[in-house]
Amino acid sequence: MCKRSIAISLFVVACVLPLVWAQSSSGPELPAGPTQAKATTACTECHDARIILQQRLSKAAWTKEVDKMVKWGALVEPQDHDALIDYLSANFGVDKAEYIAERPRGSAAKKERK
Amino acid sequence: MFSRRDFLRNMSGAALAVSAARPLLSWATDAQIGIPGKEDLIVRSYRFFDLETPVEYFRTWLTPAEHFFVRNHMHEPSTIDPTQWKISLGGEVEKPCTLTLAELGRMETHSVVNTLECAGNGRAYHTPKVPGVQWGKGAVSTGRFSGARLRDVVERAGVKSSGKHVMFRGLDEVPGKVPPFIRSIPIEKAMDPDTLVATHLNGAPLPKHNGFPARALTPGWVGAASCKWLTEIKVLDKEFEGNFMSPGYRMPNQPVKPGEAVKPEDTHPVTVLNVKSLISSPLDGSTSRSPNVHIQGVAWAGESDVTRVEVSIDGGNSWQPAELGKERAHYAWRLFSYQWKAPKSGEYTILSRATDSQGRTQPPEPVWNPSGYLNNAIDVVKIHVQA
Repeated sequence: MCKRSIAISLFVVACVLPLVWAQSSSGPELPAGPTQAKATTACTECHDARIILQQRLSKAAWTKEVDKMVKWGALVEPQDHDALIDYLSANFGVDKAEYIAERPRGSAAKKERK
Repeated sequence: MFSRRDFLRNMSGAALAVSAARPLLSWATDAQIGIPGKEDLIVRSYRFFDLETPVEYFRTWLTPAEHFFVRNHMHEPSTIDPTQWKISLGGEVEKPCTLTLAELGRMETHSVVNTLECAGNGRAYHTPKVPGVQWGKGAVSTGRFSGARLRDVVERAGVKSSGKHVMFRGLDEVPGKVPPFIRSIPIEKAMDPDTLVATHLNGAPLPKHNGFPARALTPGWVGAASCKWLTEIKVLDKEFEGNFMSPGYRMPNQPVKPGEAVKPEDTHPVTVLNVKSLISSPLDGSTSRSPNVHIQGVAWAGESDVTRVEVSIDGGNSWQPAELGKERAHYAWRLFSYQWKAPKSGEYTILSRATDSQGRTQPPEPVWNPSGYLNNAIDVVKIHVQA
């Protein structure tokens, strides 16, 4: 069992390492703007940017979300609070185009087309 | 179904592999690479893992583990050692105690085929949009879960008559000041013979992302009632009070207008799944080169039985009965199929609608609520036939 587990572990290492090294991307980033750096610190400390990129919310809804996250430990200085809400509302408002999620592997959808 | 030796061997081997891969996984979470143990899923989030199953994997009754969707609220446990894993039993019980995985593995095993669906599945289709993971159609999967009955587990500690709810705590790692993911279910559901402390999915140890080495399985209910990486079971004299019971995971008591605010006192916990169907073939936006189109999909109804699935090709003016698959279990979806011949080339819209043993059926549009839960609108797929 031990040898088998070591073999599994080595196999995982062998499979995953080249993939990790081959990727310089650390995932999508929040959009450019004067608040980008502070938003990145406040939000992506706990979760990745995709959670934000996929939202399409009104300013009122963003305000509620930011206040909830501050309560949950997001690092937002009081003087940055309104700017962060403006940044999120401007970039991820209700009028923005649909977010397309990644599907890293597979081509079943293409296979479907006869 | 499994020998004790198999159980422990599988657990130990899987744990070592997970442990060895952990530093790599922590790197990998932000990189756009595959996720070990999971294959071809739609990435709603890497950190935390929120992975959606593409609908074309809903053409088999059981969803393979590698395609089984993942919903995490927090970081997964960074250390899992099944040889040290214990579930504590306490609260309104006669004799608080702990249970090791080996002890769990020696208990009578029961299997339940269950359709597990995230409460927020289909959230992306609500108008106006609501915050949360923007799930499309695939935050749902069906698997054969096996393990000890929860009632056998809690009876080891002896439930007092004051016990009214059973609380689950997982080993999720909480970032910042986020409240821990703790929820409870009523004692009646906890003592149901089909409610499990599951250790296996489709005959193999649970994948890490689906709760290895043990999770609650509350069949027919939203996924949030089936706590993963289960490490504490506590019998309470009332519903657990915490963020993920209130204000989280609650529905308005009465229908509300889209966008309308709802007072907390006018809500109730989300529990049982709705009646619902999804079309798994043809795929939305696909082209059929043949006029003969094989329509297939899945339909489920939480704790109820699906009694009928109908398909419409004319925008819902007329409905034809689909054939239901033979494979069935109380809490599991049914496959359905319908053979249709397109009269000519062109654009077509295919709808599916399920009805259950309570007489419930699917609404034409999502029923809006502030958190976007339990969307069970009639499914819609648009195709092009070029015959």
